[in-house]
Amino acid sequence: MQPFTYARPASLTEAFTLAQQPGAALLAGGTTMVDLMRGDLTAPSSIVDIGHLNELAAFDTSGPVLRFGALARMADVAEDATLLSAYPALAESLQLAASQQLRNAATVGGNMLQRTRCVYFRDGVSACNKRVPGSGCSALDGITRDMALFATSEKCIATYPGDWGNALAAFDTSVEVSSASGTRTIPFAELHVAYGDDPAVETTLRRGEIITAILVQATPAGRCSTYLKVRDRQSYAYAVVSATVALEMQGDVVQSARVSLGGVATKPWRSHAAEAALTGVTLNEQTALAAGHAGFADARPLAENGFKIELGARAVARAALVASKRI
Amino acid sequence: MDGSIGTPIPRRDAMAKATGAAQYAADFGHTGTAYAALKLSSVARGRITRVDTAAAEAVPGVQLVLTHRDMNQDLGAETFIMKGGHMQSSFMPLTSDEVHYSGQIVGLVVADTTEAAEQAARVLNLEYAAQHGFASIDDPGRTKNTVEKPEITVGDADAAMAKAPVRVDQEYSTPAQHHNPMELYATTASWNDGKLTVHSPSQWVMGQRAALATIFGIAAEEVHVVSPYIGGAFGCKATLLPHTVLVAAAARRLGRPVKLVVPRDAMFTVGSFRPATRNRIAFGAERDGTMVAMVHEAVGQTAEVDHIAFPGTNVTSRMYDIANIKTSESTIATDVNTPGFQRAPAEASSFFAFESAVDELAVALGMDPIELRIKNEPKVDPVKGLPWSSRSLVQCYRRGAELFGWDKRTPGVGSMQTDDGVLIGYGCATATYPSAMVPAAAHVALSADGLLRVRTSAHDVGTGAYTVLGQVAADVLGIADEHVRVELGDSDLPSGPMSGGSVTTGSAGSAVHMAAMALREKLLLVATAAKGPFAGRDPATLQFASGHVVGADGTAHSLADILKASPAGSLDASAEWKPDLMDAEKMQASLLGGFALEGPVTKTHAIYSFGAQFAEVRVDPLLRTIRVSRMVGAFACGRIINPRTARSNLAGGMVWGASFALLEQSQVDHPRARFANQDLAGYHISSCADIGEVTAEIVDETDTVVNAIGAKAVGEIGIVGMPAAIANAVYHATGIRVRKTPILIEDLLG
Repeated sequence: MQPFTYARPASLTEAFTLAQQPGAALLAGGTTMVDLMRGDLTAPSSIVDIGHLNELAAFDTSGPVLRFGALARMADVAEDATLLSAYPALAESLQLAASQQLRNAATVGGNMLQRTRCVYFRDGVSACNKRVPGSGCSALDGITRDMALFATSEKCIATYPGDWGNALAAFDTSVEVSSASGTRTIPFAELHVAYGDDPAVETTLRRGEIITAILVQATPAGRCSTYLKVRDRQSYAYAVVSATVALEMQGDVVQSARVSLGGVATKPWRSHAAEAALTGVTLNEQTALAAGHAGFADARPLAENGFKIELGARAVARAALVASKRI
Repeated sequence: MDGSIGTPIPRRDAMAKATGAAQYAADFGHTGTAYAALKLSSVARGRITRVDTAAAEAVPGVQLVLTHRDMNQDLGAETFIMKGGHMQSSFMPLTSDEVHYSGQIVGLVVADTTEAAEQAARVLNLEYAAQHGFASIDDPGRTKNTVEKPEITVGDADAAMAKAPVRVDQEYSTPAQHHNPMELYATTASWNDGKLTVHSPSQWVMGQRAALATIFGIAAEEVHVVSPYIGGAFGCKATLLPHTVLVAAAARRLGRPVKLVVPRDAMFTVGSFRPATRNRIAFGAERDGTMVAMVHEAVGQTAEVDHIAFPGTNVTSRMYDIANIKTSESTIATDVNTPGFQRAPAEASSFFAFESAVDELAVALGMDPIELRIKNEPKVDPVKGLPWSSRSLVQCYRRGAELFGWDKRTPGVGSMQTDDGVLIGYGCATATYPSAMVPAAAHVALSADGLLRVRTSAHDVGTGAYTVLGQVAADVLGIADEHVRVELGDSDLPSGPMSGGSVTTGSAGSAVHMAAMALREKLLLVATAAKGPFAGRDPATLQFASGHVVGADGTAHSLADILKASPAGSLDASAEWKPDLMDAEKMQASLLGGFALEGPVTKTHAIYSFGAQFAEVRVDPLLRTIRVSRMVGAFACGRIINPRTARSNLAGGMVWGASFALLEQSQVDHPRARFANQDLAGYHISSCADIGEVTAEIVDETDTVVNAIGAKAVGEIGIVGMPAAIANAVYHATGIRVRKTPILIEDLLG
């Protein structure tokens, strides 16, 4: 770990100033930043600890726009009664992430920016364009079971890992970011950048910007939603595949559908193809599975992850059927 | 509380561990300690061509940078354990510019703080002339190295196989696995007046002491190895590991204590691991289920620098009554750190193959897999024709089947389902583990304060040795558990065995028993002497119970009163125990830190523990995820000293077996010849949520042959049958026979 300075700003305004320094990095829950620093995967010259700024810790799920302060703890949001009943997919994505200990410390804003678990990124020695730009990508001829099938390139095939981020992608989500120069709102689909072009760049956040809140448009489809996570281990494991499905149903017929996929793409992955395949159909095992397959029509499998096309389709099907029963 | 043999007393060390009072190796501190960090090779094979220490030395607080260039050569020669030494490998890092595997130690940095040491290790600049390496036995062009000596041939397996009306013949594979104990490797070394003290988690303090004495050219008595508590070992802390040598060398050079805690990723290459295997198993049988032929060809991974093999053929050939047996063993050398012992090293991998094949034979015959096994139960050892010291496998199957509810199993594939269509599978498999014995010494002392102290340098690797060894002594002397103190894991104590091969209770326990019996004799002598409370009585009429010696007429005198009649007011006794058939010279070599085993097949008997294991799995019909909802194991391991710790140990093995079956693998990055998933996020071990109901049942058994206390192996048998039982259950649920572990979702997607 390279030496760094540590600052604990007294206010958000002071944090904006500190965050503008070159080489500054924000520390919130610390569950991932400390790991990254210990592994020399990131080497900030200054740490700006914002974890105690309570004005960013509140969340409100009752209004026409759900607002989650960036520093709200994952565990607290996961237990929110409104979210559990009106947006079960979002609550489930948090409940199924990491472990209770980590969720107690981790924040919803930080978690959204969780970096890939690609072993070649994490090991500190392999070629990795994300860690050392221009060094190449050892994953291309390496172990590809956990690599992505969507939005990959010859430079990077790593998977975006976050359950919460993947679930947010299925909703009308945006992110409020602030800096010394003001506040702007980024549509969630534009927050993350596919790792493919310049793998070192993962988001459209600018230097000095701090995520202050996550905003989700209220929708009746929230009630009729689920986050399905398929993993090798029953707890404390990243998704092999995940599927978020939110539906508006009329009887057995799908009026509108939102679908996002996890464990298969370099960024949170909303599947418009699966949504289109679900919309207007009478939902049953066959139509649900067909929609799942539609979601993977454009997938680009690698040597060891081709099974995720079938598994992912089935996950979408199961999630759709589960969601449709939550009326 | 009554602490005699057979009583399920709680662990003696439980409170210390639960409250954090127990000090593990990394918890020991010395004033003025410096901290070390490792530099590991980033290439798998080649030579170091350039060393630039300038940047490392420039990090504030750095005291020492050691590479092969400046590691002095005055260290004595120690050797690999399989060559009669104590080391984990024949190869000692920093002795040359050669790189034999990725993650090899190529530098050690010592600084005033851990952070400075880590930073300096990071900027220590090494350049390599790298060659292409191979870390997998499946890589192309890897050649087999046939091991000739251990081949077993009984009858004519080829001819019998050719004539057999029913045959199965398949190959099964298991991947490299790593122990991943909770407690990381850690070493603190300090020198004082030419004497070396090492705190390091160890399953073999006497072996470490002997090795460190050789390496540093000092007497064994000048080395003190301390390891009172161990946070999981499973074989990876059995031998002396290279970092301990380097830390001790650095401490001597700096003249101050040095501490190293090995980080998790380095645990994958600094120590050993369970090598990958491929096992071909073939059975020939009559239509009535009589097994007539068996072939087991074992192929195992080894390192380029060492030959080590865990084929399991010695065990598989002894399971069933088969007249024609042929086995062969070979290894494939790879560019990896030397593999080594990992819980049931030979048995766990080979029994996944072997007991899967038995299930395949049962399917081919249309027989119940338990009845097939019972039909072929051997009355004597099929290889040597020797009697068993005890063998209660059939009783284990009967009891296990009853507990599991095997009678509810319908044999058809996919025939058992829940109401919502989840597929249920039932599987079973046999487990066994050899009961070898190792010499051991022990000292017991009864003092005026009423405490019985039991001392031996055996180890409690978390399995209950502190508890059971105390019970063995308490049982002889009729002393309540709260008056018993046990000291282990310290090379200044009487020599105990390596805690490996499930030998501790039987071997160290026999030594403790012998010492306690000697102390009992001394107490009787004092009691019946002229000034004793039982003066003039025949010692044979006296009994020990509840802290008293009791006469035939009911007269009782406390042990404290008897001690008052002794000259010193206290009594003690020592004993050196050896297996019956071992000679005294071999025993002495072993007690000095050698490695001498007797058994499991002696001149007179075959000595094994046996068990029957059962698994229920639930497979999601759509997503094909597997859940192990229930496990049952019934085991016969001779006399059980403490059913509570024994069950815990057996259940722990079963949990690991489930992890073996469904999760564990050290993934090989083929192009760069390295283990890729070097952390606990990538290397999956079972979480609590993965494990359903676990029942570990002990079947009563008496063994008068194995050792002084009749205790056979318990420590490792729990894992042995579980992977195959689960694979067999997966077949029953899905009709898919997966002949490799871990069994993953994609194996069942169809």
